[in-house]
Amino acid sequence: MKISSIKYKSNVYIIEPSDIIYEGLSNILLKYSNHLNVFRLENLEELELINQNSELSIILINPNCCYGNLKNFQNIKKNYPKFLWVAIIYFVFKEESLQQFDLVINILDSTDQIVHKINSLLTTTPNESQTDFSQLTDREIEVLKEMVKGLSNKEISEKLNISIHTVVSHSKNISRKTGIKSRSALAIYALTNKIISLEEF
Amino acid sequence: MYQTKRTFARQDIKLYDLIIENPNILLMLEYFGLETIVGDYTIEEFCKKNNVKTELITTITNLYNGFHNIDIGIFEIGDIELIVKFLKNSHTYYLREKYPEIQEIIRKIENKEKSKEIQLISQFFNEYFNEVAEHLEYEDKIVFPYITHLLKKTHQNTYSFSVQEYQDHHTDIEFKLTELCNLLLKHIKTENADYLKPKLLNSILELEQDLYVHSMIEDKILIPLVHKLEDENKFD
Repeated sequence: MKISSIKYKSNVYIIEPSDIIYEGLSNILLKYSNHLNVFRLENLEELELINQNSELSIILINPNCCYGNLKNFQNIKKNYPKFLWVAIIYFVFKEESLQQFDLVINILDSTDQIVHKINSLLTTTPNESQTDFSQLTDREIEVLKEMVKGLSNKEISEKLNISIHTVVSHSKNISRKTGIKSRSALAIYALTNKIISLEEF
Repeated sequence: MYQTKRTFARQDIKLYDLIIENPNILLMLEYFGLETIVGDYTIEEFCKKNNVKTELITTITNLYNGFHNIDIGIFEIGDIELIVKFLKNSHTYYLREKYPEIQEIIRKIENKEKSKEIQLISQFFNEYFNEVAEHLEYEDKIVFPYITHLLKKTHQNTYSFSVQEYQDHHTDIEFKLTELCNLLLKHIKTENADYLKPKLLNSILELEQDLYVHSMIEDKILIPLVHKLEDENKFD
């Protein structure tokens, strides 16, 4: 969790050479969409400066800024699997170029259309922060109990008769659902949620 | 126009306005060893008066305001000394002020609540504080002197430190604070700790933001500069 990127907000990065288009687009998004942080990037290279593992991010890009080179663009997209890509187009583009994007915004779109498009993109994408993760499964609880007792992954796998790989994936899920990773903090979680009792501790 | 919750700092903006919006910027000035009377000076005027690089102060101010897109191109080897000073001073602040402050609030809650959970939180935090202290000491005693030697060209052996190791450690240091927030807001009940929980949370969040900026400066600015310096020294 970072101060500047509160979980429920999605980040929108706009790569667009025209000041007029950028200012207009960012104002529409900030005024009418819900919970967006809007940033402007000068070029695709600046994407490297973005904290990628944080939250849902949308890149709005003028296809002319993709170097006009589709192959190159495909490679860049592969590097950022979590990002959603939206093309900002002024006029007609080749259909096959636009298929590379998750969404296309035309500068002649109305405010309503733009807002509708962006919002639909946000709601159709599984957004981890919006899902209810409060419930651990029975198996995860079993693994958690053993973790808290101080057993290693190997010992847990032997005791519960599951593979180490499964133990690791359970523990990853536990961390994802609870927002807690270290064993000492998990112990406190388990205690307050009555997964283990004081005596077992 | 860049838009977030906070102002995008430019050199013609008054420091006073920026600090009122985000008081941590005052902390930043102290880390740099600069005066904390900002008058009505713009960033540029203030920097000229104090003889520091305007772009450097503007960039770090923007990090504090949540703009992570830093142009590392503006930083030069000549800036290393000031950056190291910033980092050293912030270490002192963490160790002598900030962590003890949080520790003290938790101790107060512990006294009022007397529950096992709070005891464990206290234990969790103390262990974590020790880890952090160890890491900061490593930087103070190994990393910074190494850099100083490089700058003075008095460095003898070929020892270097691993960027990856550095970054992993930072992630860990910040993540434990997030865990603490999660525990406090989602799981730990307090009944008698009048107003201490919000106070604790405020203090943790301030530290979390500062640590975030701190590690950005180390990873994105300092380390590339040090590598550049190492390369330069090689050819001497």
